[in-house]
Amino acid sequence: MAANQTPAKLVNESIVEFLTTEMVEAMIRTIHDDAFKPGDRDLALSNAGDGAGGPKDYSEGDEAMEAVYYKLEMIGFRVGERLIERISKDRMRFTDNLDVVKFVCKEVWMFLFKKQIDNLKTNHRGVYVLQDNNFRWFARMAHDQSSAESVKKVTPYLWFPCGILRGILSNLGIASVVVAETSSLPGCTFQIKIAKTT
Amino acid sequence: MANINISCIAIIGKQNNPLYIKNFNPSHADLKYHYIAHTSCDVMEERAAMKAQDMYLGVLFSMEDLSVYGYMTNTKIKFITVLTVPDVIIKDLDMKNIFRRIHAAYVSHASNPFYEIDSQKMIKSKKFEQEIEAIGRGRALEGGNRNSLTATGA
Repeated sequence: MAANQTPAKLVNESIVEFLTTEMVEAMIRTIHDDAFKPGDRDLALSNAGDGAGGPKDYSEGDEAMEAVYYKLEMIGFRVGERLIERISKDRMRFTDNLDVVKFVCKEVWMFLFKKQIDNLKTNHRGVYVLQDNNFRWFARMAHDQSSAESVKKVTPYLWFPCGILRGILSNLGIASVVVAETSSLPGCTFQIKIAKTT
Repeated sequence: MANINISCIAIIGKQNNPLYIKNFNPSHADLKYHYIAHTSCDVMEERAAMKAQDMYLGVLFSMEDLSVYGYMTNTKIKFITVLTVPDVIIKDLDMKNIFRRIHAAYVSHASNPFYEIDSQKMIKSKKFEQEIEAIGRGRALEGGNRNSLTATGA
C-alpha cells in the first residue's frame, strides 16, 4: 500500500548476514543450555570447560542437534511462508510444480542471494536438485577446501534456508521435503522432494 | 476511476475459511454478504482452473442489484468485492487496482510475525482494518459523489 508513496526501505546487507550466522550460533547455544543444565550430565561438565561459547562439536548430542535443526527449520518455514506472499504478489499464476521450482531458482534466489541457482536437475517425478556453486551465506566463512570437518560444521547453516524453501512451497500448496548438503565449499545443493498428491 | 460503489470486501483463506468480511452498504444485512462469499468459493475455483494466468478473475456472478468480483492469489487466498451495479460499465483495470490494494494490505498483514498464517482465525488488526476501510470507503465516497452528479446531469 504505502510502497508507492514512501521510498523503499533499505537494510544493510552485512547486518543480515551477521544475523543469519548468529542465529544459528544462538540456537545451538540455547538448545545446549536447555538440554544440559549444569551438573545434569557428564557431557555438560566437559562442555562447560569450553567457556561461554557453547559446545562446538556438533557430533556430540545428536538429540540436541536435532532440536536445533527443528527450530531453525521452523523459523525458516515461517519466513518462507511470509516471503512468498510478498514475492509472488505481482506474478502470474503458477501452472505446475516445475514452474514453481523455476520461480524459486530465479526470482526467489535473486531476492535472497542476488544470484540465480547455477544448475537445476529434475527426474520429472517430483525430485528437484538445485545447485548453487557459490552460496552467498558461505562466502564469508573461512574453510578448509576439502576437509570433512568444515563441511560438517557448515551443515547447520543450511537448515534455515531449507526451511525457507519448504515454507515457500507449502504456502503455494505443495507439500515437500527439503534437504541440503554440501560437498565442496562454498557451493551447496538443495534437494526438494515433492510428495505426489495432485 | 469513478462510479465504483463497493458494498463489501471479503477475504477467504486457503481452506475456504473466512478471514475477513466487511460490509460498506447498510442497505443489506451482513448475512447476505456471508452468503455471497460462500457462494463464490466454487465459482472462483472453477475460474482459476479455467483462465490460469491472471490473478484477477473478473465478474463471478450477479445477484439482484449486486455484482461479485473475484481475485485469487498464488497462495490461494481469495478476495471478493461486491459492488452495487452502477449505470456505467466498470473497467477491469479499476477493479484490478482495487484488488491490488487489497492484496497489498493483506501482504503487509501477513508479514507480521505474530500473525499465524495457517491459523484460520479471522483477521483482527487495526491497521489492516483501516486499510480495507480506506479502500472501501474511499471508493464508495468517490463513486457516490459522481453518481449524484450523473443523476443531476441526467
